[in-house]
Amino acid sequence: MEPIEIGLVVSGGLLVLVILGMRVAFAAATAGMIGLIWIFWAKFGYDPARFGKAMTIAVKTAGQVPHSKISSQALSLIPTFILIGYLAYYAGLTKALFEAAKRWLAWVPGGLAVSTVFATAGFAAVSGASVATSAVFARIAIPEMLKIGYNKQFAAGVVAAGGTLASLIPPSAILVIYAIIVEQDVGKLLLAGFIPGAFSAVIYGALIIGMAVVIKDFGPPVKGFTWKERFVSLPPALPILVVVLTIILFVYNPFGGEAWGTPTEGGAIGAFVVFLMALYRGMRWAQLKDALLETAKLSVMIFTIIWGVLIYVRFLGFAELPAAFSAWITSLTMSPMLILVCILLAYAVLGMFMDAIGMLLLTLPVVYPAVMALNGGEFVSAADSTFGMSGPMCAIWFGILVVKMAEFCLITPPIGLNCFVVAGVRDDLSVQDVFKGVTPFFIADAITIALLVAFPAIVLWLPGQV
Amino acid sequence: TDWNVSLWGKRRAFTEHVEKLAELVSEKTNGEFTLSISYGGLSKNRENLDGISIEAFEMAQFCAGYHRDKNPSITVLELPFLGVTSLEQEIALSMAVYNHPATQADLARWNATLLMPSPLPQYNIAGAGDAPATLADFKGLTVRATGGIGQAMETIGAVPTSMSASEVRQAMDSGVVKAVSFAPHAHMSFGTIENATWWTTNLNPGTVNCPVVVNSDALANLSDEHRDALLGSVDEALAHYVDNYNNKTMVAWGPALDEKGIQQVTFSDDEIAAFRDAAAAPAAEAWIADNTARGLPAQELYDLVTGMIANGS
Amino acid sequence: MAGSSLVLTDDSVLSRIDQKLYRVEGVLALVSGLAVFSLMILAVVSVSGRNFANQPLPGYIDWIEQAMPLIAFMGIAFTQRDGGHIRMDMLVGALRGRSLYLVELITTLFVLALMLLLVWGSWAHFDRSFDFAAPLWSRDSSVDISLPLWPAKLLVPVAFSVLCLRLLLQVWAYTHALVTGVKSPIAVPLIADAAKQAAMEAEHVSGNDA
Ligand code: NA
Ligand code: NA
Repeated sequence: MEPIEIGLVVSGGLLVLVILGMRVAFAAATAGMIGLIWIFWAKFGYDPARFGKAMTIAVKTAGQVPHSKISSQALSLIPTFILIGYLAYYAGLTKALFEAAKRWLAWVPGGLAVSTVFATAGFAAVSGASVATSAVFARIAIPEMLKIGYNKQFAAGVVAAGGTLASLIPPSAILVIYAIIVEQDVGKLLLAGFIPGAFSAVIYGALIIGMAVVIKDFGPPVKGFTWKERFVSLPPALPILVVVLTIILFVYNPFGGEAWGTPTEGGAIGAFVVFLMALYRGMRWAQLKDALLETAKLSVMIFTIIWGVLIYVRFLGFAELPAAFSAWITSLTMSPMLILVCILLAYAVLGMFMDAIGMLLLTLPVVYPAVMALNGGEFVSAADSTFGMSGPMCAIWFGILVVKMAEFCLITPPIGLNCFVVAGVRDDLSVQDVFKGVTPFFIADAITIALLVAFPAIVLWLPGQV
Repeated sequence: TDWNVSLWGKRRAFTEHVEKLAELVSEKTNGEFTLSISYGGLSKNRENLDGISIEAFEMAQFCAGYHRDKNPSITVLELPFLGVTSLEQEIALSMAVYNHPATQADLARWNATLLMPSPLPQYNIAGAGDAPATLADFKGLTVRATGGIGQAMETIGAVPTSMSASEVRQAMDSGVVKAVSFAPHAHMSFGTIENATWWTTNLNPGTVNCPVVVNSDALANLSDEHRDALLGSVDEALAHYVDNYNNKTMVAWGPALDEKGIQQVTFSDDEIAAFRDAAAAPAAEAWIADNTARGLPAQELYDLVTGMIANGS
Repeated sequence: MAGSSLVLTDDSVLSRIDQKLYRVEGVLALVSGLAVFSLMILAVVSVSGRNFANQPLPGYIDWIEQAMPLIAFMGIAFTQRDGGHIRMDMLVGALRGRSLYLVELITTLFVLALMLLLVWGSWAHFDRSFDFAAPLWSRDSSVDISLPLWPAKLLVPVAFSVLCLRLLLQVWAYTHALVTGVKSPIAVPLIADAAKQAAMEAEHVSGNDA
């Protein structure tokens, strides 16, 4: 068999393992390991005497991947952003934010769910990890929604979907990882995520209000907060702004002058600020230990998927699949816009079976150059380009589109990380429950993505101002 | 026969000799012996020697400075202020070191045979903000410089900071570093010249050494005809590389600086000499001491390199 | 408040070993959490050094790269014990009793085989960076300040070996469940079924949502 055929067969096998219920990280690594053994043995002409040798090479090749790929500065953002989420929980920031959102917004139809969406959007400005955002809000928002009679599945769905906003609204670990894979300006990309993120939140909110108006007994509004009660709810949530400002100053200094550091440092310093607040609010070793253990568990889960997927990616590299795909894309004769839409649809399908970061690591090395070529090259001017934007702007636009697709994949079954996390926090919810509850938000995401494709200005206006 | 070749990044001036080698070998053997080049698909760049040693692929490129402990012998070529003036000279020096028995033994631990260098010109520094008029102006300047070049910059009071090449642009945008040391092609491909306002023309503190190696067993197992085709193509591949670097990259470099309005800073001979005196000797002494402790004939390797430069070869 | 795990315990040998191992795994997971904390401290030191003393932390990135394996690998068995590594449970969620235990046993055996191979592979990776004869025993070092890499590389086979112990225990538990056909097997993460959900809900109402 040709390497490419081996690549396709093993990929089919991976799907079987996943459906059998093998943990995704290990299924990907197993497929990669088997694929590598196959490739090297095929190279020896399937000589039985040399099977041991082929296996040794494969095992040693796979055995490099975990340490080699995980020891990366870029990936260090993931645990720090997760830590911010849990520390903010213990500092009472998330609760304060949710309380403020509730008092100001809960009077609309579907009010508590709308408040949850905007509280997660606000929290997204300090949290860079979608999973952490969902995990934290599952503890705060779901009980309140259940108390006033929300459908359990829908309440869980709101939190799972709201959590995804953390990946578009800066800071965002996924955006930084995109920027590093494609070697683009991190600051501008983070800036570009802001409006589409806020836009997504508004569309989520509109969808919930619409559902509450149409469906009977759905999320009653919560009325009766006085203006005084509304205003006193604001000060406890204000420290969020301090953290937001700290992180912004590190990534991009809006007051003129230089930023204070890199996004890696910004995330860590943000975590430190929240840590001090939590100490001030009475966090002690027992709570800190809990926060650290929760952070460790979530980080380990994500890193295990990352190295597992990367063993599989390493195998694909030996199977020459990426090169074949790249050649195929660039040989297509369809209209570039149609190709772009097909790529996004492919992400939607792939995103069902993968986690967001694994998907980016797997695809971007191949897809990104192809998209840039479609637009007319890395250094093309807006006037000569296919999509009407310069090379660097196209990189930003495509980055936001891909990250929005990655957010989408966090809530699509069967592998939607946010839904798993919400189900993990709430033992009364199965993963299936959360998936059912999150389904309406697919429509909202589809609308958002269509608008971002049709009107690139939504993405490009803000970064164009600097 | 098909060999897998592990490079990284994308096709660029730095990989042209390998691309040319693949072309020549295939031509000479009528397509019977081919090199499949992969940019990053087979290994991370810092693990290319590991990949060679476990026979995952047959040929790879790496830089000595990525992992000094893996290949101490060739780091002699990365010492600051050796005074190399051309790519041709860099090739001659590299090949002399590569052919030294101690170097061959060093790389034999990885089951690797050194095939050819990827010669790079001397690094220089591009920076944002006020251009330094004298070396004294480097005092307190944050500069992205690694290894020997970083140590050299420290001797004139600069503050070397480490980061991966792909983070350099962002770090310069945000002011985390004010200046960056690179070879010209890297200044262009990593976008440092987009922010820079000045560039040093003659600091020339040193360069990095990035050999191409092959797996020794795979080389031995080639048929004589194929091995001759491979080894016989090295000189032509290197000539192509040098021609491309000098006549494409370096020719584009001057106009690129002018187009961006980047000020070219040239230091006086006296200043450069003072810098060299402060930086070169201590670095060389430290290198010799460290590597003698590792059991390398460090003094001999150092003398080999400096002797050839003194002879003007 | 840690998301309580659905692992049953009793007085059997299997369960006692499970709980002992869980304690070890918990300590390793805490090391992982402390490593995240140290990343934060490292950044504070680096940023304040650069901005207030014009003296950045030498090799900041090298240190981050050293801390990452601690974070990523030390908690791997802890997460496996609690069923925290995600999976698609549509099929296994529909199965009950012996057929469920059989599928779980098969996939667990696959994972055990994989991890044994990866212990070998990651050990080889460590071994290539380690040399008793070399200064600091190092044959591979970081880019900037030449830190020896072997300690970080050694963490991988160590953490994977603990995971192998955990997987062996789960193989034992599933085999035991398969043979006896018990309703609720011990020492393995369970899929929440209706009855369990009710019990959990009661526990939740009694309220620990801080
Ligand atoms: Na965010
Ligand atoms: Na999904």
